[in-house]
Amino acid sequence: MHIMEGFLPSPWWQFWWLVSLPFLAFGLHQMKAIVRERREALPLLAVAGAFVFVLSSLKLPSVTGSCSHPTGTGLSAVLFGGFVTSVLALIVLLYQALLLAHGGITTMGANVFSMGIAGPLVAWALYRAGKQVNLNTFINVFIAAFAADLFTYVVTSFQLALAFPAAEGGIISSFAAFIAIFALTQVPLAVVEGVIVALTFKYIIDVRPDILVKLDVLTQNMVNRLKEAAV
Amino acid sequence: MDEHLLDDLALNNGLRETDCRLKLLLGLGAILICVFSPSPVTPIIIGISMLLIIVGLANIPLRIMAGLLLIPVAFAATSCVVILILTGGGEPLYTLSVFGFSFTATTESANLSLLLLARTFGAMSALFFIALSTPMIQVFSVMNDLRLPREFIDLSMLIYRLIFIFIGEAIAIHNAQVMRHGYSGFRKSVHALSMLCGALFIKAWERGEEMLIAMDSRCYDGKFEKVADEHPVSLQSAAAVGSYLVGCSILSLLLSGVVLWP
Repeated sequence: MHIMEGFLPSPWWQFWWLVSLPFLAFGLHQMKAIVRERREALPLLAVAGAFVFVLSSLKLPSVTGSCSHPTGTGLSAVLFGGFVTSVLALIVLLYQALLLAHGGITTMGANVFSMGIAGPLVAWALYRAGKQVNLNTFINVFIAAFAADLFTYVVTSFQLALAFPAAEGGIISSFAAFIAIFALTQVPLAVVEGVIVALTFKYIIDVRPDILVKLDVLTQNMVNRLKEAAV
Repeated sequence: MDEHLLDDLALNNGLRETDCRLKLLLGLGAILICVFSPSPVTPIIIGISMLLIIVGLANIPLRIMAGLLLIPVAFAATSCVVILILTGGGEPLYTLSVFGFSFTATTESANLSLLLLARTFGAMSALFFIALSTPMIQVFSVMNDLRLPREFIDLSMLIYRLIFIFIGEAIAIHNAQVMRHGYSGFRKSVHALSMLCGALFIKAWERGEEMLIAMDSRCYDGKFEKVADEHPVSLQSAAAVGSYLVGCSILSLLLSGVVLWP
């Protein structure tokens, strides 16, 4: 769920745009370097962006009956890195606003920060750290996707709390209230998204592990080990 | 899955031929006036007039429009209830006691949540106006005029093209899974959906590799040439947009003190 158009008052929507801009500029800079170095990267990045968009418009099976959508950015962060994901997320959010009327233009800065920057960077860092300590790949991917999803909502709650502090207790109690409401639906959904992304990984490893090796997500050794373990 | 993208409607809308810079100016201007408006009256007026423009000039059926608007407004309404209880100030209006907790709505919190609801309604209607009247192809030429980085525009165009292909693929996979009872239980749904994502990723990747070959064989040298979709700005429509925006801004200034509970 994104913050809707018109919901964030000034100066908060301008503030989140300003916060997001340096990250986006760095992501764009990194992307330009990748494209200049390897010409074939552009269509593959495009495929990744379209994949995130379609992923985020799928409905997740939900325990509580309410339907919700995966963020899709956790998988993208693991596959393509944190900063590139933020540029992809900006384009995806633009399309969600213009093709589906999800989110908005003024609130896009805040949404890019929660969904495209904070969540993916945490997921990316966790995945890298897990890889260092030789954590089981599927558990590692689950944690990364789960954290990306959950952290996105923590940041969204924080953004709303900053804009609408409570009368008693100020920002902290307002943050607690927003997070409690989100937690009801988001914690189970984050678990579901984590499981789905981990299983998605398993299917990709079964069929085309070479893609993951090429993207430097896994080493050939890791793929061999996973395949042996599966037999 | 959202099979009906607003772009399908936008490609056949009544304002298709109008200059897209003008349409974006109208939509974005209206959004900004809504966000800056201190009174709930102006956003409501903007929202209603935007809906009239969408239904009347862009010829989007009212039934579709109402269904689309219901989703964000329902979300906004629940968020506004939270804000009604959380924030305070002014006189207490109503206190509700549940399980020993008491929730109090005050005049200022009521004003704030009403203002937010009005702003969301107005700004979402303006966003719907942009989404329903401006096909993405026209937005690309504006991005080009704005001197956004070329890689960014190229990437956006490729993503735009691929979204439709992948949605088609995802629907086909989904239908095949539904026919084999893939979604007949929670565990099965989780498995089916992950299989869908995995298959989609691999298909997408192969599509990307094929696209690279196709582009290479057509002498792709790292940039796309764009053909601008030019429509001359008519003086009449420019004047209409200008006076609408100026009118709404003046209205917003005049009505700045108007609130439900003073």
